[in-house]
Amino acid sequence: MISLLTVLIPLTWAFLIPLIHIFRKTWLKRAILLFGIAVFFVTISAAISGWKQSALSFLGGWPAELGIVLIVDKLSAAFLFLSAIGGGAAFLASYGRLKEGPWRYYVIFFLLQASMNGVLITGDIFNLYVFYEVFSLAAYLLVAFTISWQAIEAGLKYLVLGTIGAFFILLGIAYIFMATGSLNMAVLSLVLPHIPNEALTVIAASLLIGLFIKIGAFPVHFWLPDAHSSAQTAVSALLSGVVVKVSIYTLLRLSLLLFLETKPAVFTVITVVGTLSVLGGHLMALRQEDIKRLLAYSTVAQIGYVLIGVGTGMAAGISAAFFHAINHMFMKVGLFIAAGHIAEDMKTRNIYDLRGLYHHRRWFVIVFSLLTAAIVGIHPLGGFMSKWYLMLAATKAGNVIPALALAFGTVISAFYYMRVLSFFYSSGDPPPRQTYPYWNLAIAGACALCCVFLGIVPLVPSLWKLVSDIGLNAVDTAEYISTMLSK
Amino acid sequence: MSKSCFLRIVTFLLCLALGWQFWKGILALEPTQIIIGPAAHYIESAAEETGATNIVAAILFDYRALDTLGEASVIYTSVCGIAMLFAKSKFKISSTGLSFIVKRGVSFIIPFLLLYAAGIVLMGHISPGGGFQGGAVFATATILFCIVYGSGFEAVMIKPKTKELIESSGALMFVLIGFVGLWTGAGFLANIAAGYPKGEVGRFLSGGSIPLLNIAVGMKVSAGLSTIFYSMIKLLEFEVTKHPGVKNK
Amino acid sequence: MTIITLSHGTAIILFCIGLYTIISKRNLFKTVIGLSLMESSVLLLIVAAGFVQGGRPPILPIEGIAVNPLPHAFTLTAIVIGASDLALALAFVIKLHQRYKTVDLDKIRGLRG
Repeated sequence: MISLLTVLIPLTWAFLIPLIHIFRKTWLKRAILLFGIAVFFVTISAAISGWKQSALSFLGGWPAELGIVLIVDKLSAAFLFLSAIGGGAAFLASYGRLKEGPWRYYVIFFLLQASMNGVLITGDIFNLYVFYEVFSLAAYLLVAFTISWQAIEAGLKYLVLGTIGAFFILLGIAYIFMATGSLNMAVLSLVLPHIPNEALTVIAASLLIGLFIKIGAFPVHFWLPDAHSSAQTAVSALLSGVVVKVSIYTLLRLSLLLFLETKPAVFTVITVVGTLSVLGGHLMALRQEDIKRLLAYSTVAQIGYVLIGVGTGMAAGISAAFFHAINHMFMKVGLFIAAGHIAEDMKTRNIYDLRGLYHHRRWFVIVFSLLTAAIVGIHPLGGFMSKWYLMLAATKAGNVIPALALAFGTVISAFYYMRVLSFFYSSGDPPPRQTYPYWNLAIAGACALCCVFLGIVPLVPSLWKLVSDIGLNAVDTAEYISTMLSK
Repeated sequence: MSKSCFLRIVTFLLCLALGWQFWKGILALEPTQIIIGPAAHYIESAAEETGATNIVAAILFDYRALDTLGEASVIYTSVCGIAMLFAKSKFKISSTGLSFIVKRGVSFIIPFLLLYAAGIVLMGHISPGGGFQGGAVFATATILFCIVYGSGFEAVMIKPKTKELIESSGALMFVLIGFVGLWTGAGFLANIAAGYPKGEVGRFLSGGSIPLLNIAVGMKVSAGLSTIFYSMIKLLEFEVTKHPGVKNK
Repeated sequence: MTIITLSHGTAIILFCIGLYTIISKRNLFKTVIGLSLMESSVLLLIVAAGFVQGGRPPILPIEGIAVNPLPHAFTLTAIVIGASDLALALAFVIKLHQRYKTVDLDKIRGLRG
């Protein structure tokens, strides 16, 4: 019941905002803030209730084989938590910046939130496609929201590649339907082993190609740096922090449910793509002079880390992958909000023009440095811990080269982040008058504190058990199937 | 030149290889002549369980109604986005429509067109059709206004705000109809189980919530498609009125 | 049986043509056309999946056997989704054309990766 509301409440808000705009314009400001807070709390409470016990809701009262089922198990609950936090931070950042001004922005924002939650909790593969498309369309529009020509161009690039990805996914679903006649993911998990191997290869290939395009993994990452750097600050944070993670959840869920036993090669492919993303993303980031593009390429690399974790196909690897995903969410939301604010404040995004920032924007640079230390992986912070567990899991699964690539990538990232920081701390001309950036500073600072806190998590057994439960729950597909088909 | 030619050949070969793989996948699936999975159940008992004789409508608005809600949200997102992208363009009237004879002729057709659209929407549960198709026909009528009477006519008759109102309230109506099911405890978007009257199968008044959902979707789609068309045509006229030689500012 | 094989083959060929168009053509409208081709091909594949020899439309009363109604529902949903995607793509192209006065990708490229 509550799991259903995570989709319905933001969706209803999105439909209500135009009506409020027409009839009671003065209410809009308060209503939007209220709506945002409501969405945050509903998502969090759905995550908590799903964590305690797998929550099912049968739409229309039909059993799983006939209708659509929404299911929140531990993996979904963990990602719902991530989506609630990241979405909430992005909402606050955009509310602080835009106020209620462009109301269409909030319509699209709530549609994005609703469909992200929908992707996270749905148990039906075609329904997943539908929600995925709502969420992609909303993401394209948020990228193009500023209507500057870069934004429109990035949006078009994202749209063309994203739509190709969507059609590949739809093709995979069409093959699945032709082979089995059913679309419920639990049923598919039982039926897929019996279909011919060639057809299974095609299904796996089209789903993987589509999802890799949507995720922005290395060989097909062209849209990601443009989209993430051309969007406005809060949207960049949302895209890098949450939207990419939702795509990774989809990959994780589908590959575990459908291909874990039938096609182990899928996991090899994921590992290879992850390794390429780590190396490619970091090497491309090395060449960037635009601070937001640098962060966007760093996202490509961090996606690679997560994919290496997913590619192990083992509980430990998936736990580490999720841990890295949530770490990266905090780090990138903080970094993008700080960097976006600096860029808007200084009217430039080129790192050479940001010399001597420390002497004028002290707190911003301190927060930025802390977040940078976390993302590079300095010892007590969250980034180090998640990378450490990823390396452990990868070596345990026998993927030595990805583990080495992971370490090598960390060295490269240390190099280019140091370069940025060295510009910040060197001396330079005083910039124009300071605008008072408390709002953004507070969000970025909170993200930095969360990174410090996440560094402690693996040291406390009761907290680490929560993270390791996610992996155990994710590989336990039998439990998922029995829960889903219980009615 | 040779480099782009080479790239083309590589792309072509890549697509060919992909196509060959897909073809092999098709061949591996022996085509079944019997219907398997949930579809067999739908054909068997859709009429008793939902009261609709059009099984496709029963699937769209009852068994898999969340898909339809998602689909409605897709149009909603796209309409909202296109309206946002073209929000700053000014509305200019450039065309005054076609000749007198055509205007008179169309004024005879329009009532029938609207009736036809309403028929498609309202009879969606007993005959081919439904909210999406009927809504598209409604939108066609408004587009016909633009072509025949000139773009100013439609803007005066139906304000963009009215369309927004129709669209949002249609979407909201869909959700509210679904909430009735949640209220009675049968699950979101439940139909007969939520207490909607089933009626006599095959009659006009049957199918529980399916006709209501059809109306909601019809409102949404008609207003949405019409908004998309007018947002784009607005910009086109904005372009035409400018001299082509003048550089953009 | 042959008609179903034919439609499968057509769908796959169309899909590859669409993909080739998107990758190799530099005109943005052709890119959108390529997307449209890909969409149609997948829809054709889904509809063909519901074919039954000698089947009737799935509207009661059915004389004889009915075709599979589920792909019809999917196709309706997927058509709307594809149409929304394409409408948005065209809107972006129009916006870009408004700025650059061209739809040639080589002249537009402002962002490089």
